[in-house]
Amino acid sequence: MNRYELGIVDTRNIIKTLQDVYNYDFKNYALTFFKRRVERVILNHNLKDAEGFINKIENDRAFFEIFLQEMCVENTEMFRDPSLWRVFKEDIFPKNVQDAVNFKIWFPEVSSGEELYSTAIILKKLNLHKNVQFIASSISELDIEKTKKGIFDSKKTEVNDANFKRIFSESELSDFYTIENDNAHWDTSLIENTKFIKQNIIFDDYPKGIKLILFRNQMIYYNQILQERFMKIIYNCLVPGGHLIIGNNEKVEYWNSDKDYTLINKTESIYKKKLS
Amino acid sequence: MYKAVVIGGSAGSFQVITKILSSLPKNFPLPVLLCLHRLKHVRSGFVEALSIKSTIPILEPYDKETIKPGKGYLAPSNYHMYVELNKRIALSTEEPVNHSRPSIDLTFETAAQAYRDKLVGIILSGANRDGAYGLKKLKQSGGLAIVQDPNECQVKTMTEASLKQTTVDHIFTTEQIISFLLKLK
Repeated sequence: MNRYELGIVDTRNIIKTLQDVYNYDFKNYALTFFKRRVERVILNHNLKDAEGFINKIENDRAFFEIFLQEMCVENTEMFRDPSLWRVFKEDIFPKNVQDAVNFKIWFPEVSSGEELYSTAIILKKLNLHKNVQFIASSISELDIEKTKKGIFDSKKTEVNDANFKRIFSESELSDFYTIENDNAHWDTSLIENTKFIKQNIIFDDYPKGIKLILFRNQMIYYNQILQERFMKIIYNCLVPGGHLIIGNNEKVEYWNSDKDYTLINKTESIYKKKLS
Repeated sequence: MYKAVVIGGSAGSFQVITKILSSLPKNFPLPVLLCLHRLKHVRSGFVEALSIKSTIPILEPYDKETIKPGKGYLAPSNYHMYVELNKRIALSTEEPVNHSRPSIDLTFETAAQAYRDKLVGIILSGANRDGAYGLKKLKQSGGLAIVQDPNECQVKTMTEASLKQTTVDHIFTTEQIISFLLKLK
């Protein structure tokens, strides 16, 4: 099978359309990724080619929302990299959240919500959930709605459960979800304390006084220009001494931010903002 | 004249890869992109295992790392590894392709877009069909397509699937792959 392949000129035209019609600027997304996602949308919606895509998206706001959701890559699973979540459970959360009031945790791109629910479940198990406020941003309204309702892909149940067992060997993740027919739902009371923010590519308005930011494997879809812009905002949002967690194969040095942070756990990419 | 080598392998490819990496000269003039199927929950150990015998440094790249000659770039566990047009690595956690993340198809396809006819692609032993589409794209972009001789493979599904989709330039044994690579400048 030969997939439809988007050329460079077509890609530029699409980026321009999204900018002109919706004021969303995708030019600093990683090109390979952007192309691949648009190709996928063209294929899944039988749009034939770039022209078909442009015609559809120009006139169809609902379709634009579907496209935005497509640009937010789903988290692969709950508790991805269980060893990180063990560090949260055994060290970071007990040490920092125990005596805190309104400890703010920000998910700059919450996408399909697994990072948010994973964090909420750890805090609930530690009985620290009342000390925390979650802030979850996304460029996708559809993802925000889905996350609020706690809907997730039941095909991931097996890997989710296995990851959870690596953190809490004595308990069951199924205490926190229900599956009816093919619908899987998280217990939404876990995220009662969450403020959702729908945002454009880069934030117009962003939260302040954040103590911990979980932003793993999202900036990999941006080029370095956009990554550096995000890092500036993140720096301003985070309180001195606050934690930033990025993906295993991301590195703050790449964004000229190494002077701003101390790497406190290399394996899990946990950084701490310097005090001054 | 070539600018990069991309290698895909799965079941039965570890020893072949080790042999290849131990036979390259220290100053091998091209980058080697490695997409090998691996256990997703075992994050560490693989790059170390490959490094023991390799003459060139093997690393799991960071996102947007610049690709340099004489180094081996191993796709990290549970990530796809792409090559951007500006010859940097881009990682991705998008859904698995052919049940695989990393997917050989995606590494080959994006490397082909970045390196066009300056790319050598090699498919080794493996138990699924990943890589067949990627090798086809590589060939269509003018790259040189090599498949390990299925008769030599521990598991021949992957090489046979590739041969079915693409008229390759060479079907080589491990020894032939090595002597071919040694001639690259």
